[in-house]
Amino acid sequence: MAKVILEPIGTVRERFLPDEEWRAQRAHMGEMERALGSRRAEVRSGWGPKYEARVREKGKLPTWERIDRLRDPDSPVLPIGTLVNYGRTFGEDRRTAPGAGVVTAFVRVHGRYVVVIANDNTVASGSWWPLTPEKIERAQEAALRLRIPVVYLVDCSGLFLPEQSHTFPGRVGAGAIFRRNAQLSAAGVPQIAGVHGDCIAGGGYMPIISDIVYMTEQAYMVIAGAALVKGGKSRKITSLSIGGPDVHVHLSRCADQRVPDDEILLDRIRAEVAKLPSPGWDYYRFGAEAAPPRHPAAELDGLFPRDYRMAYDMREALARLVDHSLFWEMFPHVGQEMICGVGRVNGLYAGFIANNPALTDHPVHRDMKRPGGILYREGIAKISQFSRACNDDGIPIVWIQDCSGFDIGPEAEKLGLLGYGSSLIYTNSTNAVPMFTVLLRKASGAGYYAMAGMPYRPVLQLATPMTRLAVMEGRTLAIGAFNTRLDDNFNVVAQSPGEADEIRRGMQAVEDRIVRDMDPVLAAAQMDVDEIVTPAELRAYLEAAIAMSYQTIGYRRIKNPRIWSLHDLKILSG
Amino acid sequence: MFGRILIANRGEIALRVIRACRALGIESVAVYSEADRGAPWLARADRAICVGPARAEHSYLNAAAILQAAEQTDCHAIHPGYGFLSENALFAARCVQQGIAFIGPGPDAIRRMGDKAEAKRTMEAAGLPTIPGSRGTLEGFAEAARLASEIGYPVLLKATAGGGGKGMRRCDGEGDLERAFAQASLEAEKAFGNPRLYMEKLIEGGRHVEFQILCDAFGNGVHLCERECSVQRSHQKLIEESPSPVLDASTRKTLGERVARATAAFGYRNAGTVEFLRAPDGSLYFMEMNTRLQVEHPVTEMVTGVDLVAEQIRIAALHRLRLAQDEIRPSGHAMEFRVNAEDPDNGFRPDPGTIADFSPPQSSLPGVVVRWDSAIEAGYRIPPHYDSLVGKLIVHGPDRRTVLAGARQALASLRIEGVRTTVPLHLRILDEAAFRDGSYDLRLLARSGLVRAV
Repeated sequence: MAKVILEPIGTVRERFLPDEEWRAQRAHMGEMERALGSRRAEVRSGWGPKYEARVREKGKLPTWERIDRLRDPDSPVLPIGTLVNYGRTFGEDRRTAPGAGVVTAFVRVHGRYVVVIANDNTVASGSWWPLTPEKIERAQEAALRLRIPVVYLVDCSGLFLPEQSHTFPGRVGAGAIFRRNAQLSAAGVPQIAGVHGDCIAGGGYMPIISDIVYMTEQAYMVIAGAALVKGGKSRKITSLSIGGPDVHVHLSRCADQRVPDDEILLDRIRAEVAKLPSPGWDYYRFGAEAAPPRHPAAELDGLFPRDYRMAYDMREALARLVDHSLFWEMFPHVGQEMICGVGRVNGLYAGFIANNPALTDHPVHRDMKRPGGILYREGIAKISQFSRACNDDGIPIVWIQDCSGFDIGPEAEKLGLLGYGSSLIYTNSTNAVPMFTVLLRKASGAGYYAMAGMPYRPVLQLATPMTRLAVMEGRTLAIGAFNTRLDDNFNVVAQSPGEADEIRRGMQAVEDRIVRDMDPVLAAAQMDVDEIVTPAELRAYLEAAIAMSYQTIGYRRIKNPRIWSLHDLKILSG
Repeated sequence: MFGRILIANRGEIALRVIRACRALGIESVAVYSEADRGAPWLARADRAICVGPARAEHSYLNAAAILQAAEQTDCHAIHPGYGFLSENALFAARCVQQGIAFIGPGPDAIRRMGDKAEAKRTMEAAGLPTIPGSRGTLEGFAEAARLASEIGYPVLLKATAGGGGKGMRRCDGEGDLERAFAQASLEAEKAFGNPRLYMEKLIEGGRHVEFQILCDAFGNGVHLCERECSVQRSHQKLIEESPSPVLDASTRKTLGERVARATAAFGYRNAGTVEFLRAPDGSLYFMEMNTRLQVEHPVTEMVTGVDLVAEQIRIAALHRLRLAQDEIRPSGHAMEFRVNAEDPDNGFRPDPGTIADFSPPQSSLPGVVVRWDSAIEAGYRIPPHYDSLVGKLIVHGPDRRTVLAGARQALASLRIEGVRTTVPLHLRILDEAAFRDGSYDLRLLARSGLVRAV
């Protein structure tokens, strides 16, 4: 019988990080947090107080308040896609679409996680902009993969028409939302819809496939608004008269129940969620209890050097993400540039795969060290096998990236890193177990791919304000571009100081351009990452992600720890 | 809120619901049988639809016809009134499935409370005291005999699907039991389609005290005090009053709150009445629960100031109960006198006919309010197919004595000519000492000699 023994990792902060450095790093992160905070606040205020006032005048609640009433008082609100469309404007009027006019978040209702998809009624009456459908579909995808109930709070006037060519026709356009509705239903995932207001065309279709639909007295669902109905004016037709609760609750039965107002609608949805099965996570704690990390998660905000090239101890970061700061590290002596192992998050097992940024021993040339944050053969082999084992054992995987890419050069090619890397990619591409990726700092090139970046379909991909996501680091790109003017050690070779300056300026420009590209806000705006969170917020997101991985039972493999493949590997690794 | 409600009833209760709809700005659709064509209350509804011939089973009890009427007129809800389909769980379920709100509790609550033996079990589990008797229904005569000797004669055999005295038999000794069991089962089978009986110890000199409750769909419940309904003839109520002359404030509060909590706890919704039997020693035993609005609801309305029908409609439209228990403060005293077109001197034989002349009741006493809930007018022809209730005379005053005086005036001033009514009987009851001093119990009418065949 194999025991699963997790060992303490991490050290008290004062012992490895002097106060001055800690304060400076903390302050640096603090600045980045403030910038993030102000962007979030900007998005959260929608189109501004005037539009929020309009919503209240109608006796309706603004979207964020609806979510607050829906969730349990002690539930966090964990949004994804907050910064979608950030910095984009549309049309000649240069309108903005903060959050793409929809809020997608994880909250707990009666103790169960649900995915909330709520049109932002303070942004163009909740209509759909470019990327709104994709954002909704991303949330639906998380629900489908984890079999988590979806609550739609619909208040949506359909496509924002001036941009319809970007949202209407495509493979991931608005029509795909309804396809996802159908897939969720076909997979037995509960969907509950509350209709709070105008729901026209696409908005009208949004709730229908849901299992149960509530409508307030102000709500209507119509295929097309009354304005388009011929003879509508003389017959005094309004959208409410043809598509309100009178019609849909009592005549067409496209909705199930009418309620007086937003507040009661949300209370009824809560009552529906309470009927669903209780979460499975207590069962899958295998006797453990939920516990916070012994070394506080909040300290993550001060752990990282300001210069992204500088190393730190990744184990100190892991210590601040796992319960009791206990971790079962696998293969610690092989492929030291990677760390992999098992920890618990609120009592539930999760596999962690993370880069080690520190210098490590060369496996062959014992007197040599090589830089961390890079994928070498041993590390790739190790995490490849660990990924396979976690998939085999049904242990959700958390990938933590601070990676500048694969090793390059003659040794790397001869050893066949192309092959080892492809084997890892094959595994990740065909894993069934839920995977979550955190782009902690650097996320470069093939390393980003190999460590389950977005194309490898993690359920969620999170970034931090430190994230640098690009095909290569700026300096690497500059070196590549100006290669003919550099020596063996990549130093500038020039006829004169003036020329050298010019070359350096040119290299800097190339670097700067890609650094702009690396801005995680850009990635978030394009939906290349799901959310930017501060390092201290990571634990809360992981708690939700891992809990959701064990909430619904019966659809995925969860092996009991006695028979994990990991035990076999432990023996083989000697 | 609903835009349009269909009222699946007739007469005074149909008018009552129409009035409530009007006050809430809701359109009302009345249904009528051919016997009620042209009836006076129909004109007060926004629309009226004929649902079948005179016989109730083809019209007012014809669920399919009523549901179709609701569909045709685009009604959002149905108020069933009392009697007819009001406690028909299947009807309630069919309404729900058609997307028409049933203004009352859910089908399951109706079914559970409709089975009297099961209702007793449910309320016992909720902590209410029940009369000693059988646990559930009796398997057969042998069990009945065994149980009767255990709890002691006299005992009462009652139909589990019953009400209104049908399928009920009193047994004073072993000798009666076999025949009583057989007769009660047969009667129950005929009247309710279910022959099963349960047994209770017969408590002599008991009083009928019932609590009005209101529960919303969110688990909130309140009680609106009690009504005393011990003036009965053959298990039919004649006079009801609130508050009960025999209940003290502390019992009212404690028991009332227990009742409200118990009903809300098992998921009851909308208006309901929980009936108790008060033994001479003061103990109160749960008897049964009526899952509908009662005939005597005006008595509670006058004393509490709450419009029960409006609250029913609001609760069905998923509004929260807006009354908190401490906001319900009874004030004064009220009595209701059921005026039936019956001949009290002739075995209460129904006396359908035409009302030649009619003038409503009134009282000039200060502080007395007279309310007349009725749908009749001069020239109205009472059809013979339905119950004989002509109207309800309700009197409210600052105290019981004033109400008695006001009732006398009102009853005396009420003129219904062309049919015999129970008004003279009510006046005689007002003179009975036991009624006047409030010491009466369920034996009042039998002992008074005011009625011959009871």
